[in-house]
Amino acid sequence: MERHETVTDEDPGPLVRLFGLTGGRARPPGETFDLVAIVRTSRLPFEPAGLNPEHQTILSICRRPTPVADVAAQLGLPLNITRVLLGDLRSDGLVTIDPPQTADQTIDERTYREVLHGIRRL
Amino acid sequence: MEFAGSDRLRPAGRSLAAATALKILVAGGFGAGKTTLVGTISEIRPLHTEELLSDRGMGVDDISGVETKVTTTVALDFGRITIREDLWLYLFGTPGQDRFWFMWDELSLGALGAVVIADTRRLQDCFPAVDYFEQRSLPFVVAVNCFDGARRHDPAKVRRALGLDELTPVVMCDARNRASVKDVLTTLVTHAVGAAYQSVP
Ligand SMILES: Nc1nc2c(ncn2[C@@H]2O[C@H](COP(=O)(O)OP(=O)(O)O)[C@@H](O)[C@H]2O)c(=O)[nH]1
Ligand SMILES: [Mg+2]
Repeated sequence: MERHETVTDEDPGPLVRLFGLTGGRARPPGETFDLVAIVRTSRLPFEPAGLNPEHQTILSICRRPTPVADVAAQLGLPLNITRVLLGDLRSDGLVTIDPPQTADQTIDERTYREVLHGIRRL
Repeated sequence: MEFAGSDRLRPAGRSLAAATALKILVAGGFGAGKTTLVGTISEIRPLHTEELLSDRGMGVDDISGVETKVTTTVALDFGRITIREDLWLYLFGTPGQDRFWFMWDELSLGALGAVVIADTRRLQDCFPAVDYFEQRSLPFVVAVNCFDGARRHDPAKVRRALGLDELTPVVMCDARNRASVKDVLTTLVTHAVGAAYQSVP
């Protein structure tokens, strides 16, 4: 049996708060983006105001280009909730997110080779 | 992290803008070993989440035909392998079941390939995943998870039972064993390269 776990093992209680963060939305606003799309914090001439702690953490993580999945892992939040937060930040111009790409756009022969060696090295 | 001259060391054409994350899907029935496999190979503590899939039914339910506002969730595990700076491989494990196919549609877009875990005690549980990847021409391997006490299965028999073509690799696997999981993944990547460069006319 799969246990019905919520969010993280350690912290079973934040669902209500998560609902508040996303307003219950399962999907981010705007163009769809992948669970591993690369997110970058926009360079802005000012400090954005009125952000909640999760938004601030995301902006700090994504100063380095970071895949959506890793943002979720670092926040300890479900992927889809993370995606809603990212979509909101994108709507406000605070992050950019790469558009979805097909495998042949992202994986060339050299990448396959790198991946193969990377796995063998583990 | 950054040091003087690091840009010159970066191979031509590679820049921070070229940060790339690749996906491998891990499919199979409940209890087949998806969570175990992801956890065995991930360099980060695998994240297990219940993903909220819909906030307004989205046609994912329902037997009675009623569009409910009841939320649908699906268990999703993921782990990461860093290949090099700015190149990551993510493994996503989630159940292959009809009502979750739109999750799979999203996960499989742009994916490098998939691992279908076959539990020989319930081989039929992985039929839907096999069908799904075949229909979408996503390269996949079948990893036959060797549970204790289960009869040893001959890969050829599994291939026949699943109706696989000759090209799709079938590998024996112990999802708890790192070397075994590495073997599954290298088999997949090798198969995917073949598929990618064969389809070029
Ligand atoms: N003997 C054996 N047990 C396994 C293997 N892989 C997983 N298990 C066990 O089978 C159970 C279900 O595995 P799990 O990874 O949770 O399956 P999931 O539902 O596909 O995520 C767990 O108790 C695992 O420890 C394997 O290769 N051999
Ligand atoms: Mg599981």
